[in-house]
Amino acid sequence: MGFLASVGLNDFVITLMFVNAILAMSIYLTLYGGMFSLANAGFMAIGSYVSVILTQNHDWPFLPAILAGMVAAGLIAIPIGLPVLRLRDIYLAIATIGFVEITRIVILNFDKIVDEVYTRLHMTSEPPKITNGPLGITGIPVQTKLEHLVIAVIILAYFMMRMHRSRFGRALAAIRQDENVAASQGINVVYYKNVAFVLGAMMAGLGGGFSGHLSRIIQPGSYGFGTAVDILAYSVLGGISSWYGPILGGLALTALPEVLRPLKEYTGLINGIVLLIFIAYLPGGLGDPALWRSARKSASRISNFITKGKTADAGA
Amino acid sequence: MRSKNLFLAFVLVAVLALPMSVKAQDGGERPLIGAWDTCADPTNLSGDVKVGLAFAQSEAAAIYGVSQQQAAELAIAEINESGYLGGATLVAVTEDAGSTPETAISAFTNLVGEDVSAIIGPTLSNQAMAADPVAFGTERQDAGDPLVPVIGVSNTRTGMETDFATSYGDGGNYFRRVSLPESKVIPGTVAQVVDILGIETVGIMYSDNDQFTASAYDVFVSALEELGVDVVATETFATGDVDFTSQLTNIIAADPDAIVVSALAAEIVPLLEQARSQLGYEGPIIGGNGFNAPGIASEDKGAGTDANGVIVGGAWNVARQNEISTAFTTKYEEEYGTPADQFAVQAYTGTWVVATAIRCADSADPADVLEALAATADFETPLGTFSFDEDGLPEHEPVAQIIKDGQYLLLTEESAAEVFGN
Amino acid sequence: MPVSIDFPISKLKSFGVTALVLIGIGLLAYELPDILGKQVLNPEQHVTTVIWTGSVYSLFALGYALVFSILGVLNLSHSAVFMWGGYIGVMSVIRYDIPIYYTLPLAMLGGGLIGVAVDLVAFAPLRRRNAPRISQLISSLGASAVLVSLAQLEFGTSPERFPRTELKKLPYEATKAREYTVNSLGLDFRITPLQIAIIVIAFALMFLLQYLVARTRTGKAMRVVAFNQKVAGLLSISVGGIFRLTFFLAGALAGAAGVLYALAYPSLTPFTGDEMALKGLTVIVLGGLGSIRGAVLGGILVAAFEVYATAIGYSWLKDALPFVALFLILLFRPQGLLGEANVKRA
Repeated sequence: MGFLASVGLNDFVITLMFVNAILAMSIYLTLYGGMFSLANAGFMAIGSYVSVILTQNHDWPFLPAILAGMVAAGLIAIPIGLPVLRLRDIYLAIATIGFVEITRIVILNFDKIVDEVYTRLHMTSEPPKITNGPLGITGIPVQTKLEHLVIAVIILAYFMMRMHRSRFGRALAAIRQDENVAASQGINVVYYKNVAFVLGAMMAGLGGGFSGHLSRIIQPGSYGFGTAVDILAYSVLGGISSWYGPILGGLALTALPEVLRPLKEYTGLINGIVLLIFIAYLPGGLGDPALWRSARKSASRISNFITKGKTADAGA
Repeated sequence: MRSKNLFLAFVLVAVLALPMSVKAQDGGERPLIGAWDTCADPTNLSGDVKVGLAFAQSEAAAIYGVSQQQAAELAIAEINESGYLGGATLVAVTEDAGSTPETAISAFTNLVGEDVSAIIGPTLSNQAMAADPVAFGTERQDAGDPLVPVIGVSNTRTGMETDFATSYGDGGNYFRRVSLPESKVIPGTVAQVVDILGIETVGIMYSDNDQFTASAYDVFVSALEELGVDVVATETFATGDVDFTSQLTNIIAADPDAIVVSALAAEIVPLLEQARSQLGYEGPIIGGNGFNAPGIASEDKGAGTDANGVIVGGAWNVARQNEISTAFTTKYEEEYGTPADQFAVQAYTGTWVVATAIRCADSADPADVLEALAATADFETPLGTFSFDEDGLPEHEPVAQIIKDGQYLLLTEESAAEVFGN
Repeated sequence: MPVSIDFPISKLKSFGVTALVLIGIGLLAYELPDILGKQVLNPEQHVTTVIWTGSVYSLFALGYALVFSILGVLNLSHSAVFMWGGYIGVMSVIRYDIPIYYTLPLAMLGGGLIGVAVDLVAFAPLRRRNAPRISQLISSLGASAVLVSLAQLEFGTSPERFPRTELKKLPYEATKAREYTVNSLGLDFRITPLQIAIIVIAFALMFLLQYLVARTRTGKAMRVVAFNQKVAGLLSISVGGIFRLTFFLAGALAGAAGVLYALAYPSLTPFTGDEMALKGLTVIVLGGLGSIRGAVLGGILVAAFEVYATAIGYSWLKDALPFVALFLILLFRPQGLLGEANVKRA
């Protein structure tokens, strides 16, 4: 911890890194099935608002509220996924961005919508304030602990690891290769795509619930286009060739601006340049097994070098 | 008329600039600001006294944060050069608070780890709602760590004091701000406008996805309601928008006596030009705090004559300077090459208020600093005579002004008649 | 890859569908205020706003559409090039006293060069190893972040504009609105000569691009590259050259849009592009990804949705309406209003 703190990674940042690792895994699931969906920022918003409203306005305990947010995100994913997943590639990406923005605007104006409904229905009672518009919900007690997140990441990572070798994982991989071939082999493409989408949405909802109980305030502006592409960047830079890639990506990309923080106004510039270099020179992402093999090779070369003494150079 | 005003302004500035500073006894320059006589020179303080600066240095809010940082650094340099803290040196621990709640929390977490005596910042109110409790909230109280006072210098959201008190009990007292909340500025401005111009109906425009402008909108609405002014049209836009013609078309068609606008600095110039030059609206435009940004009425960078008839209330404005603020703005412009804005003046004031609390407490202990801070009263600052009232809210006299040909005039019957030609 | 640059008769059907959809939307739009019990005040001024903002949206989105049609990737740094175009225009006047007339060609040149640089840094390395399009998208985001940060470092974050004093030197009192009355119905609207000039320049540039792509040898080569790079290679067309040209053209269009935007709206910040990035996406999807005519239509439509929401008294829904339209169009006609039906491969 002392080392991490010295490079600017305080407890809060470390917690945030794990939240983003969950979000990265949430999009990994759809990417693994070849679906280029950016909807997860929207599901994150839903998970976040639902869980926070439950703990704040209805005195729910933390964990049930988080799970409820997760379920809510999953339920909303069903009617979204069914029509939208017929689209592919960039079309799916843009449609899901549309979903994210609509979700954000609905949350932003939720109280106004309720108000409009009340007046149209000639209801006399005062319409409730639920999302509190741009001011957001404030004073949320910090309940998300690093332990929760580490446990959640381990469970999800285990699920991801197992998924690769499961029927479900193989079906998704086949769909990613070629949908038509997968369908001709008797794989129910629509079913598997939707299941992956809904599971991803639930994970995003979980991440949202955790993040909502972390920063004491939630506001619609935190869940827009920018967040959608951030989540994508975690996963792509982490690499989608292995289950631990997205986790590494989420951790690293959250830590990066914090480590760069002393650069102040240069933070953005260096962050962008690092992104460009990563994507250009690490084709498989941080989690690329080949990268780690070569890293292990050079590590063993170095350790050989050290243990066997200076004469034994090109030993390995 | 114009050249006469210019001349007067010139004379005024010249006269005010004369007694810029008086020589301190120990040989260093003693600034005009400071509780030099009310509190004796500190004797216990020694070594470094650390104060945290958490302003937005990157991303969108850097528009405000950069000038805040510069002004705070300038204040700290003055404080140390003049020996305000006796044998001690005020050391700034700077953390970039970014523009989001998360980056601010992280900055505050680092700062409290540095054992600072107080934290000044963050730039945005929503960042403050998220990050300030790091210094005095439940977690810190439970851990038994010393609570650290946080001084907001640009947080204008209404009700932050009560919100923090509700959530964190006595810890909430550790939040102080020198920036007047909207509830202390807007109602007075609106009442004055209604009184002088006899307004009965208004149309309102505000940015509905920004916490700052939306909070100001709420205050406007309740102030107008109290005065019995009818709101005949309400239109919204989003922060970052630049085309307001369709909203303005609606409002102008509803024919209000005045238009109330709550917007951020970047939206104001296009909005004014579209209202005036394009759609030909000539009535008064009543603005929120965003209208205090420098250059709104400048002929080159701002809306020029299209800003005529804009009425704005604010904590500070270049039109109403006292000698302390003239000294500061002159020095600031010399140092950084840009004119000081309200954010700079407030950050400068906030830093001096904190330093004064440390001097008067004669201690760097956060709890002592808070006690002295809360007792701040009748402190002469660039913002005017500054106190915290019994609820812990900042108190100094806000100003209502009307813009004419690039100049901010105090809002009076005469100046209003001059602008609107009776 | 959908490349609908030609417009043969076989597309009449798609044209008919588009026309029907538009008429349907129009009728609904006409009736909706009555249904909701709202009244539209001064509709002619709203229509003026649609044409005016729509032309800027369209011009901006054109570069997006061009790169997508030739390379099949979304270049998310387009909005940053656009912002730089605006700054090149404004700053050449403020810092170097260059007359306003020259800022348009200057910004087009500058934008074009930045576009080529983005290609070299963010796309070319990925293209060489055939990286997936997601990677290229992220890479363009990285380029965008770099460009925005550079602008922030160079120009600061407070809003800049073409100086009013310079704009006032333009002939015909270009910044002063004139009131026009359409026939005897008493319909009137106000518009400035500068706004008319911006609309004319925007449409002229769009026409020029359409001409270049549809009628010239270069355009033909571009279309071949878009259709199949191997075939292009066989025909000894320099594929790399065409890519660079595409990025140059897209950048130049972004630069031009930036200057026109800065002329139109006196508030340019390094974050100006962010707003447009998302709007531009909506525009090209509504019109049809990769279709030049589609981008023009999409721009007008997005402007129409935004203004319409405001006109009927729901300005708080104005940002949602274009996305709802986008969502619906993708579900029912994914190729967009004027796009070619070939979505599965795209």
